[in-house]
Amino acid sequence: MNAPAPLVRVVDDDASFLRAVARMLRASGFAVKTFTSSAEFLARPEREVPGCVLVDLQMPGLSGLDVQEALAREGCALPVVFLSGHGDIPTSVQAMRRGAEDFLTKRAPKEEVLDAVRRALDRDARERAERTRLEALRARFTALTPREREVLRHVVQGRPNKQIACDLGIHERTVKLHRTAITTKLDVHSAAELTRLWLEVGGLEG
Amino acid sequence: MSWVTVIWSMIAAVCLTLATMQVLVWLKQRTASASLLFALMAVGTAGLAACELWMLRTQTAEEFGAAIRWGHVPYWVIIVSLVGFVRTYLRTGRPWLGWTVCGARTLSLILDFVFSPNLNYREITALRHVSFFGESVSIAEGVPNPWMLVGQLSLLLLVIFAVDATLAVWRRGDRRSLAVLGGTIVLFVMGSIGQFVLTFWGFSHKPLTPSLFFLAIIAVMSYEMSQDVLRAAQLSADLRESEERLDLAADSAGVGLWSWDLKTNVLWATERARLLYGFSPDEPLRFENILSQLYSDDRDWVVQASQKCIREGVDFRHDYRIRLPDGSVRWFKVLAKSSFEPSGVPVRMSGVSLDITGRKLAEQEIERQRNELAHVARISTISQLASSLAHELNQPLGAILRNAEAGEQFLQEPSPDLDELRAILADIRKDDQRAGAVIDRMRGLMKQRKAERRRVDLCLLAGDVVTLVRPAVERRQVRLAVEIAPALPPVHGDPVQLQQVLINLLLNAMDALGDNPPARRRAALRVRPVSATVEVAVSDTGHGIAADQLLRVFEPFYSSKPKGLGVGLAISRDIIVAHGGRLWAECNEDGGATFTISLPAAGGDAT
Repeated sequence: MNAPAPLVRVVDDDASFLRAVARMLRASGFAVKTFTSSAEFLARPEREVPGCVLVDLQMPGLSGLDVQEALAREGCALPVVFLSGHGDIPTSVQAMRRGAEDFLTKRAPKEEVLDAVRRALDRDARERAERTRLEALRARFTALTPREREVLRHVVQGRPNKQIACDLGIHERTVKLHRTAITTKLDVHSAAELTRLWLEVGGLEG
Repeated sequence: MSWVTVIWSMIAAVCLTLATMQVLVWLKQRTASASLLFALMAVGTAGLAACELWMLRTQTAEEFGAAIRWGHVPYWVIIVSLVGFVRTYLRTGRPWLGWTVCGARTLSLILDFVFSPNLNYREITALRHVSFFGESVSIAEGVPNPWMLVGQLSLLLLVIFAVDATLAVWRRGDRRSLAVLGGTIVLFVMGSIGQFVLTFWGFSHKPLTPSLFFLAIIAVMSYEMSQDVLRAAQLSADLRESEERLDLAADSAGVGLWSWDLKTNVLWATERARLLYGFSPDEPLRFENILSQLYSDDRDWVVQASQKCIREGVDFRHDYRIRLPDGSVRWFKVLAKSSFEPSGVPVRMSGVSLDITGRKLAEQEIERQRNELAHVARISTISQLASSLAHELNQPLGAILRNAEAGEQFLQEPSPDLDELRAILADIRKDDQRAGAVIDRMRGLMKQRKAERRRVDLCLLAGDVVTLVRPAVERRQVRLAVEIAPALPPVHGDPVQLQQVLINLLLNAMDALGDNPPARRRAALRVRPVSATVEVAVSDTGHGIAADQLLRVFEPFYSSKPKGLGVGLAISRDIIVAHGGRLWAECNEDGGATFTISLPAAGGDAT
């Protein structure tokens, strides 16, 4: 898969600061897009483009915390780095608890800012890869027939074939055939591995 | 000696005596032209009496004719000065009629010297001797000259002039005795006319005695004028008494009185006034003496205000400082007025001066304490703004830092983009100015300084305050509506203190909104002119104030906030009252409270 380059979004109502941060980040080799208000950013967050958000905590209208909340509500997992005029402990605690990548003052040293951005981008990349892997896995699970899924549900509970056959009212040999089909489709080699993947995709509904 | 000689000499003597007295009056007071005219008339009457005596004693017809001819000269003097006297003393009489009388009389005098032997006779044929006061005196017989009608016409006009003047005086009704004087003039001039007509037209064979008639008029005039002297004496006695009373009152109040004669530039001052200004009791004073005593800072505006008083009649009501010879500085409160001639020319400026140094010092001490207190309160107010000010400073400083970092990075490239670097430097400069402005505003508020009074544009001031509190407003997610009316009149005041009050009110409003959900955190700042004042109202939609607490909130150490010291509003009200304004609180209909400042608009005068 050919993923687009990560994009750092910066949201701040102070045009001069916005320009300065964008310059610094670009000079440090990042692709940057700027927004002068939370609303402008939330209208087009381009969630499919990897990256992160640097957002000013205090802005007229929607604040940085509001942006974080709105992204969470829409299930957009872009990591958020907060920038603030001055450190305000209660607000930073709240922000971090909600999963902010970092909370920096506007005059934090460059390295801190770059570190935070890199960490956020790494996290985004990691999370995106993980999401992709899980989605593929989930796709494999969904390829099972309804009967196979039913058998699988019993298998991951560690029940022997005989009992499964008895419960489902089918022949023990039929159970074995289903298990073979499942391990082939999911490309697993042991019941233990099967159980681990099952837990990873969070089981199957229905 | 004969009776005739005695009587006529006495008439002349009396007239001359009265004339001398009035001439002396006139010499002392040149504006008393009535006295001069009276004297002329009296001299004329004396001359007339002399001519009459000559007539009575004459033995030849030629001499008789000459006596009559020369008698017309004093007669002319009498008539002309009588007209003038009526005009000046009775202050009435139609001018054109007066001029006509004088003209006709002058014509008679000319005709008198044109005809021979005189105006009254074509020819004197004989002299008759008749008995008069037991003596034999001469009277003439001859042909009457018809031209003497001109002379008699002038007398008739004089009567009309005098009747008209008398009626006018009577109607005016200010002094009835003047009307009596007018009536006397009418009566005796008519008597004199009667005698002329009877004698010259040959109906009567009695000697002519016009001087007797005029003596009567002079006597009544003289009586009236002597009444004036009595009245003046009474007035002067009253005036002295009133002056003494005024001196006593002024002295016991510690007030110095003075009066500056603008024509002579002589400054009269009471003993107390001299003492106050540090002058010796008998040194002659001029306006410059006072100016030289004035404290140098006050000199220019005092001169200006004095000129305004003299030229435009604006009362001088000011406090100024005097430096006494011993070097001490005293404060005087001075009230002065100018008086003018009816033509509008200023005559004098007089006034009272009062030493108010003690009061001024007390006021200054109170002012100093109020300033100190206001400063303490201001620091406490600003400390509430501190976190938002830090934010305001960090914004430009952060931008500068990021720009500098970006610049350093650009410079490490083999061929740096110079345009980008220039843009970076321009941004850095702008942000530096922005940070500087924040610091300047802060410093202006923090500095311990003397309160000043100058013209303040509340529109600019409110704008500055809004800039200062804006970060705090945003941080607390308050929606602040700002409505400032255009073309506000300026007010007089101390800009820093007024800013302090406004910041205080806005912070209070935001505190009151703390418990509201963000959507209902609304505040408004309105500045508008209301008749001769400017009103600044700060309202919020917060928890409001109970009706019975509306006055108490201004009491010192009253606070509804857990962390509040409770002096903000008390000092705010103090500051506004010291500016001659008012500060009050009201409940809003839809909840919340409104605090309104009302300040008097500054007039045209900036002192």
